[in-house]
Parts: sequence; C-alpha cells; structure tokens
Amino acid sequence: MIEAFTDVVPSFFGTLNRGPMTLTIFLHTVIILPMFFLYYSEKKKQKQGDHED
Amino acid sequence: MLSRVMNVQYESQKLAINYFQVALILFGAQLLFGLTTAIQYLYPQFLFGIIDFSVGRMVHLNAMIVWLLYAMIGSVYWLLPDETGIETVGIKIGRLLFYILTLAVTIVVVVYLVVQVGPGNAMSRWLIHEGREYIEAPRWADIGIVVVVLGFLGNVFATAFKGKRTGIVTVLMIDLLALAGLYLAGMFYTKNVSVDQFWWWWVIHLWVEATWEVYVAAVIGYGLIKTIGANRKIIEMWIWIEVAMLFGSGILGIGHHYFWIGTPEYWLEIGALFSALEPVPLLGMFVHVIYDWGKQAGKRTPMTNTPAFSWFVVTTFGNFLGAGVWGFMHTLPQINLYTHGTQWTAAHGHLAFYGAYVAALIGMMYIGLQGKYGLKEMRMTASAKWGITLLTGGVLGMTMALTIAGYVQTFIERGQWGATWQGYFVGQNSPWMIQAYGWRLAMGVVTILGFVFLMKDMMTIARTAQRENLKTESTATATA
Amino acid sequence: MEEQKISVWGSVRFWRNTAVWVTGFAVLLLIWLSLDTIPQISAGTIEDLENGVTKRVPSAAVINYEIGYELDNKRKTEIPIIGGKQMFFGRNDYSEEEATELVSHGKMTVQSKNCMNCHTLLGNGAYYAPDLTKSWLDPAWSETGPYRPMTGKATTEEAMAEFLQHPNKYPTHARMMPDLGITPDEAIAVVAFLKHMSSIDTNGFPRNFNKIKGAVNAK
Repeated sequence: MIEAFTDVVPSFFGTLNRGPMTLTIFLHTVIILPMFFLYYSEKKKQKQGDHED
Repeated sequence: MLSRVMNVQYESQKLAINYFQVALILFGAQLLFGLTTAIQYLYPQFLFGIIDFSVGRMVHLNAMIVWLLYAMIGSVYWLLPDETGIETVGIKIGRLLFYILTLAVTIVVVVYLVVQVGPGNAMSRWLIHEGREYIEAPRWADIGIVVVVLGFLGNVFATAFKGKRTGIVTVLMIDLLALAGLYLAGMFYTKNVSVDQFWWWWVIHLWVEATWEVYVAAVIGYGLIKTIGANRKIIEMWIWIEVAMLFGSGILGIGHHYFWIGTPEYWLEIGALFSALEPVPLLGMFVHVIYDWGKQAGKRTPMTNTPAFSWFVVTTFGNFLGAGVWGFMHTLPQINLYTHGTQWTAAHGHLAFYGAYVAALIGMMYIGLQGKYGLKEMRMTASAKWGITLLTGGVLGMTMALTIAGYVQTFIERGQWGATWQGYFVGQNSPWMIQAYGWRLAMGVVTILGFVFLMKDMMTIARTAQRENLKTESTATATA
Repeated sequence: MEEQKISVWGSVRFWRNTAVWVTGFAVLLLIWLSLDTIPQISAGTIEDLENGVTKRVPSAAVINYEIGYELDNKRKTEIPIIGGKQMFFGRNDYSEEEATELVSHGKMTVQSKNCMNCHTLLGNGAYYAPDLTKSWLDPAWSETGPYRPMTGKATTEEAMAEFLQHPNKYPTHARMMPDLGITPDEAIAVVAFLKHMSSIDTNGFPRNFNKIKGAVNAK
C-alpha cells in the first residue's frame, strides 16, 4: 500500500505522496478542520446574542 | 422624446461605457483573427507569409484577454457608484489611464501585425512581444499595464473607503488586488524553460481559474440584484461561499498544469484532486442563479433587464459546461498524459472563456446600456435573441467540433503513433480531423454572425426600448 | 426586540471567515509547495552530469551528451536517460557557461520567433504544428527519418538548423513553417535549446514516444 519513493528528489510532499491519496487527504484535512472551529465559534457568538453584519 | 444623450449621472459610469465600447471593438478583432486561423487549418496557404498562423493566433488570444480586462474594468467602474453611493474617487485619473491604455493596446497590436517577429535577443522581448502564450505583451506594455491597473485599483480602494463598502465591493477589492499582483509573476525572463512555465501558470491559471472566476461571481451577484431584485444578504452570503469554494479548489488546482513541465511527481495528485473540485462552485453558481430566477418569477415582480439576465443564465450554463465539465474531462493525469497539448484544450478553452467570462461581461454591458439611457425596463429585441442564440450556438458548435478533433488527435497521434512528428501529421491528415476543422470554421462563422447581431442590438436596443416605453406609458424616458 | 434564530449556515459572517481562512491557507500551501518545487526544477550543474547525478532539469551542458528516453521500471514511466558523450555541431566540450548561454539564446529566439503560437513546448502552446518537447529525439530527424536526407545534412543538429533557417525550401507538410529570418547562430542556439528540453524529466510525457509505430501500419 505504501509505495516506494520514486521521485527524483525526496521531499516532505513527495513522502506524503507515497500512500493511497495521503497527500490529498492531508491537504484537504488541514484546510477543512479549522472550519469546525469557525462553525462553533460562530454558533457561540450567536448564542450570546451577537448577530453581526 | 428619443434621445441619444447619456442619461448617466456618474462620471464613473460614463467611463465604464467607454471601456465597454473598446472591449467590443477588440471582441470583433478577436473573432476576425479566430476566423483567419480557423481558415488556415483547412487552407494553410491562406495569408501565409502575410498573417501567419502564429501571428493571427497571438492577436486572437491577446485581443480576447485585453477585451475581457477592458470589460472587467468597465463593469467595476459601472457598479462602483451604485454600490458605494458616491462618485468614483480620482475619476479624472481613471479617464486619463483609459486613454493611455487604449493607446498602448493599439501600438502593441500594430507591432504584432506589422513587425511580427524580431531577432532572438532581449530587445524583441521588450519591444515586440514576449513569445509566451497568453501574456505575449512586450515588457514595456507590461509595465504600462501595471501602472494603469495600479491607478484603477487606487480609484477602487479610495472610493470603497470613502463610500459605503458592501460585501460585493469588498470581494472585488481583494480579488482585483490579487489579480493585479499575479501579473508580476509573468514579468521576468528566465533561462530555464521549466521555471519559466512554472511562473507563467501563476499568471494564467490563477487568473482564469481563480481570480477571474471570483470576479465573475461578484459581478453576477450585482447583476442579479440589478435585474431581478435578488436579496442582497443572500447574494453576499453566496458570494463568500463561492470565494471559499473557488479559491479552495482553484489555487491548488494549479497543480494540473504542473504534471508534465518538469515539476515533481506530487503535483500529479495535488493537481488531480484539487482541480477535480473546480466544477463544484461552478455548479453552485448555476443552481443559485436558477433558484433566484424561480423566486423572482414566483413574486411576479417584473424583470428589469431581460437581455442582461439571459446572458447571466448563459454564463452559468457555459461556465459549468465549459470550465467545469470540459475541464474535468481532461484534468486527471491518467487522461491528460494523452490529451495534453491536443485540440482537447482548444475545445475546453473556447467554451470555458465564452461561458465564464464573455457571457457574464456582455450581461454587464446590457446593464450599462440600460443605465446609459435611463431605462426602467429593457426587454429582449429580435436582434438580441439572434445575437445570444447564434453566439452561444456557434461557440457550442466549435466546442463540439474541437472535442471530436481532440478525440481523433489523441487516439491517432498519441495512442497509435506514440506522439511523434509523423504521428502528428497522420492525425492531422485524418479525414475525421479535417471534417472537425471544417465544422469548427462553419460554427466560427455562425459565432461571427451572432456578434454582428449583438453589435446591431447594442446600437439600437435602447431606442427600441424608449419607443416602446413611450407607446405604453410615456413615463419611462422622463425619469432620469 | 424579537429573538433572532441561531443559524450558522445562514450567517454571512461565518462564510466570510471561512472564505478568508480557505483562501489564505491555500495561498500559504501554494507558496510552500512552490518553495519546494523551484529548487527541484532549477538546472543542475556540469558536475552532476559528470557524476551521474539525476536532475529533473539537467545543466545546459547536457548538450555534450547523448540523450535517451526509456521506460523506468521503478517509476513506470519513461524518463530521459543521459548517456555517453556526443558531438553537438562538432564539439562535446561546451563549458557550463557556454552551454547555458547557448541554450538561453535559443530560448530567447524561440520566444522572439513566437514558436509557441504554432508548436507546443512541454505540451503548452498552440496545436497547429508538432510538439517540440522531445523533438530532438524524434525519429523523423534521426538517421532513418525523412528529414535528414531532405536537408542533405549528416547529423540531427545540422539538419534541424538547416531546416530552421530555410523552412520554405523543405516543405514537410501542406502546413508549412514560415520563414522567420532565423540566423545561423540563432538556429544553432534553438537546436541546443531543443536538445536540452528533451533531457527534462516530464514524468513520462509524452507517453510511448517513438515506441508505437501505428497499429494501422504495423507489420
């Protein structure tokens, strides 16, 4: 499942690229995870009556 | 009373109309040189040695990019007073920059057509053209463009800070800043062709698949409020969702240009997975416009500008089909390994640029026309219908023909012949390929006919509308 | 004052924050990736070539060497193979500086003559004429190909240079290359640029180059 490193130059991204879609999953996760934080902090603000805009 | 006098109260909107006018002239030039190059595919002797394919194509592409930029700047100058509630700050400078830009564009095009090529040294790059597809403009013009765009940005920012800063204007401010900044990535010479193309894509990709798309989302938002009275809060929320999705997929989607130019293998996966998501926001745009349309129809409030709204519908369709579906069809490296550098790209390019940008900006021009003559309501005329039908039909037809050409080229040249020169020519000589080029030419002529109707309509629709409004109520022309 | 409903999904602020986060972070990732990529695609040195160090983009001095394009068992794609020394316009001792200048002159000429608006380079450009990515290795220009005898030259580089200077004399197709006023020096430089480009590791593009002779015509 984990493939041998084949690219010309070893690098962090090249290493992540060895597993099945691991590089993409990593990148998408780091982008999407903080959105949970944004969601809950918005919910908290609205509960406190801060309705913005 | 039928008047040809501008009914616009803001200088900014008068300038917008000037930008639209030059844009339409350049649109005509784009189509003309598209025609010569399409003919050359079938009859290579046509204008050979006079306007060679390379020259015609360079003008075809550059005229398009420049007219889209003109229409984009024009649209911003149009909507800025509406959104901020004040006259654009520094509009006199804006007008001066318009003349400078137009003069520069004229000189560049004349040099393209008259000088065409220079010796292999830095002087050619500075004075004639840069020889890099899409951003061929010579370096002196690059610097001029940067100056003009900085002036434009200065006006936009100053106006937004002085007047009311709506969500639409905020998005446009950030987006235009990024758009202008990215141009710098294409303004230096490098000896290494891989590094060259790496930065080259920063300009091309991050323009057309990121910043331009966000621009269009914002402008369509404004257009929906204008034409069908969409709810501003929902529009602004939707624009921010579009920004998140377009930039979220589009920025790293640049990886699909980094498959085969010498860049590392990890780009294969990044490019594939991020660019595969690029159609999602385009589908979102489509759903949103149709949804708003349905809501508006339910409320039975009159649509104030049917031609503009029709063009916005075309843009959502065309953007999703051309950029989304046609882009996705060859974005995965498993497919792109064989389709890269074939007519596939041309098929995708024609429908994507038309759907995403041409249609949206023509819609904005119709809003400009309506405002120019102070019309409460503007309805489709016969020429407007012919224009939209023939232009869209023509581009769709060219796209279908080029898609078939792309298939044939991929199978014969790449599949059967292993991408050699001989394979290239065997592919090009295939009767199926030649038929496809024939259909592309025919549909190109249809597109040009559509353009003729569009131009006729743009010159007459206001008067037609005024006459009809006089007939019915006679109040429309009185209100400024 | 009436109680407002709590709705995160319908909040402009939430989506604005999301948009700012996603955009900002995607930009940071792109910058990080670019910082990782640029050193990998910067040209190698003449020492790399002498010591057999593989580079994605070798030094311009690669014009002193024979270049192949073979299937790599580990990567399962075709990669450029840099072989032994090879004459290029009668020399194989171009220094690093000399070769770099020559290839750069070639690149400048390719830009000035607008090659990219008919041909493709690394698959990018126009589709009116053949791809130039591996043109140096194309069988059409090899000993057995039709173009060398057409120009009456003994080597690939001389045949290419001759063609570039007088394309009108050698019609290869109804779609002829126009005479672009390429000088002898520029022609040599362009061929050097093409030879160098064929040594770039393009992750296997074009696939099966020169391996399949066309099923229709196969013997």
